[in-house]
Amino acid sequence: MKKLAVVLLVALIAMTAVFAAGGSEAPAATAAKTTKIGFVVINDESDQGYTWNFTNGMNAAIEKLKAEGYNVELLTKKNTTESAICKDNNIELAEEGCEIIFNNSYGFEPYMLEAAKEYPNVKFVGMTNCAGQVDDNPNTFNAFAAIYEARYVAGIAAGMKLQQEINEGKIKPEEAVMGYVGAFSFAEVISGMSGFYLGARSVCPSVTMKVYFVGTWGDATLEEAAANALIDEGCKLISQHSDTTSPALAAQKAGVYHVGYNTDMTKVAPNASLLSSRIDWSRYFYEFIKNHIDGKENPSDWAGTYAEGDVKVTDLNTAIAAPGTQEAMDKAIAAFHAGTLHVFDLDTFTINGQKGTNETMYDSFAAVQGNATYDGYFHESELQSAPYFVGVIDGITWLNVAY
Amino acid sequence: MKEKNKTPLIRLAKRVKTDMMSPRKVWAIRIGSIVFAFILGMIPIIMAGQNPFQSYGIIISGALSKPGYIRQTVKRAIPLLGVALAIAPCFKMKFWNIGAEGQITMGAIFASAIAIWFQNSLPAFPLLMLMMLAGILGGAIWAFIPGFFKAKYNTNETLFTLMMNYIAIGIVRWLQGGPWEGRPGTQIIPMFSDKARLPNVFGIYCGWIIVLVLVVVVHIYMNYTKHGYEVAVIGDSENTARYAGMNVGWIMMRTMLLSGSICGIVGWMLVSGANGTLNADVAGGVGFTAITVAWLSQLNSFAMIIIASMLAIIGKGSATLQTKLGVPASVADIVSGILLFCMLGCEFFINYKLIFRKKSDKEVHA
Repeated sequence: MKKLAVVLLVALIAMTAVFAAGGSEAPAATAAKTTKIGFVVINDESDQGYTWNFTNGMNAAIEKLKAEGYNVELLTKKNTTESAICKDNNIELAEEGCEIIFNNSYGFEPYMLEAAKEYPNVKFVGMTNCAGQVDDNPNTFNAFAAIYEARYVAGIAAGMKLQQEINEGKIKPEEAVMGYVGAFSFAEVISGMSGFYLGARSVCPSVTMKVYFVGTWGDATLEEAAANALIDEGCKLISQHSDTTSPALAAQKAGVYHVGYNTDMTKVAPNASLLSSRIDWSRYFYEFIKNHIDGKENPSDWAGTYAEGDVKVTDLNTAIAAPGTQEAMDKAIAAFHAGTLHVFDLDTFTINGQKGTNETMYDSFAAVQGNATYDGYFHESELQSAPYFVGVIDGITWLNVAY
Repeated sequence: MKEKNKTPLIRLAKRVKTDMMSPRKVWAIRIGSIVFAFILGMIPIIMAGQNPFQSYGIIISGALSKPGYIRQTVKRAIPLLGVALAIAPCFKMKFWNIGAEGQITMGAIFASAIAIWFQNSLPAFPLLMLMMLAGILGGAIWAFIPGFFKAKYNTNETLFTLMMNYIAIGIVRWLQGGPWEGRPGTQIIPMFSDKARLPNVFGIYCGWIIVLVLVVVVHIYMNYTKHGYEVAVIGDSENTARYAGMNVGWIMMRTMLLSGSICGIVGWMLVSGANGTLNADVAGGVGFTAITVAWLSQLNSFAMIIIASMLAIIGKGSATLQTKLGVPASVADIVSGILLFCMLGCEFFINYKLIFRKKSDKEVHA
């Protein structure tokens, strides 16, 4: 009998422990229903670049939301192509009960919009695109960030390095040529590369730049070939608006410097890569999801800025950067915060020897049309978040075009 | 005397009419192979850290348990069934047309051309009909070229049709980035206007009705027409066909024209119904998966409905599996690959027998 009593007692204690543990968690679990968030991405995070950067932002946002007691669950459709598969993936996430579906590639938007028509109660966000803002569907949204500001800051690091080489007599002032591996010759790339160039020229007045467009967002072989072609053309520093690290490797092999994109490339090219510029999507994801759960409105178009921390540069590779680089970058960053620095300041560049006008700078294919040229500078990313600066600045030579 | 000892341990022999398996045994092998495939398929699922039974449950429920799922499943089945019907006559003739991918794409290009040029000037119905005719023309041209060379110069149709695929896809890439591109730099052909889009019936674009009509048409063509008979004779023996006075070359070209035309219809339905525009992924591997559909159905039109639905269920279910459990899509692909392999592979044991050597030199039939 005694034995049985002991066993029962132990069982009882064990059960109370279970119930106690369950009891403490139960209210939290039932109080907030789980909000499902969908994410349609191109490639997957193993690209260590574009999608990896998005995924990091999303994970950080979700962690923060969970810490604040928001119950969110993320469903991701990876390796989505810019085809009808994208529409299917959006439909699938909507069917699974996702309340918000983010799409991370420009080419997804037309297919996303098709799905948006069929699921009017689900919010669809076309990141880096622009149609959600202008269409009449209230459930479509857009977002981009002022990456040209981060490229401007990264350009300062590039310019400082070349100026150092000039000052040390290693190259002549006219030999300060940068090479830029661009994806396609359209606004997003042109705006970014112009920002990069103007940043470099703000600290290295003699610098010029050559651009080669590869005609794809990510192809390691083509990007490497483009970087090598630019190095053969005499470029002393390579930067890129493309998704893989192969230009960094090409620069490292050829003994020239490099400025990356999306991800810190100093690990793959420690002797070449100075730093990278990137977008930090976490604030956008966090605010959008939070607003949604709280029942608040979200902007149909959202543009992140340097001042708000939505675009940034990775840690400077101090082993190879020119002395004083961090200080020079900090000065520009402080000016972004103060609102006194504008990347496309009309006094800092010319187009065909003339001051830029709205006609020579504004992308006639942009979803939103208007005048962005006033108060002495070109107001990029203000009329719509997606870039629309397409001016061909003097000092930048296009080796080809790729649409 | 030594010769006898050289008999291999296991020999293969094709079963002839006189010792075919009983239908019951045949179906036992087929069902057994599916069961075997599901057991084998558990290995990658377990390696991905998931419960295989739960996973299989999600694959089935993820394809069929909600109207929204069923719509997506049917959408996947439409082109599979259409293309399986298209290649069946060629395969019956033992003409290995693996160029359906390119023929779909070419049909899609031609149909898109009509949509892009006339969507602002023509009313919906004539526009859609014109798009269909253009699609048929595009697919037929792309199929006729290898058919012609095979008939006239006996070129290898397998390689020829395969190579034609890449050309067609390349043409779309060029159109996407060139003459038909919307905003420069985007590589996107704008969505067609609603006039150039196939209407929905029960929430799915009406292509499902078109392919079901095609099932009947192809069935009749293959089994109750002179053309169908000629195709079957060539499949059995080209020499017999020639001896019987058939124009083998012309029949080949004619069958390829038919096959390409149906592929062209599928291409038209894809751009006008499922996708709403043209891109390089328009065929998306359907041209190859449909070969499996055609073989598994033993070129029987009605069986193709079942097999195409089954593959669509696995495809859609795998997509749901990936979404719900985070299983990499490739794991689901491995499972469906195993299933297809086993299902096709079991036909081997139905058509061949293994003969084991016996010590007493007497043969035993397995």
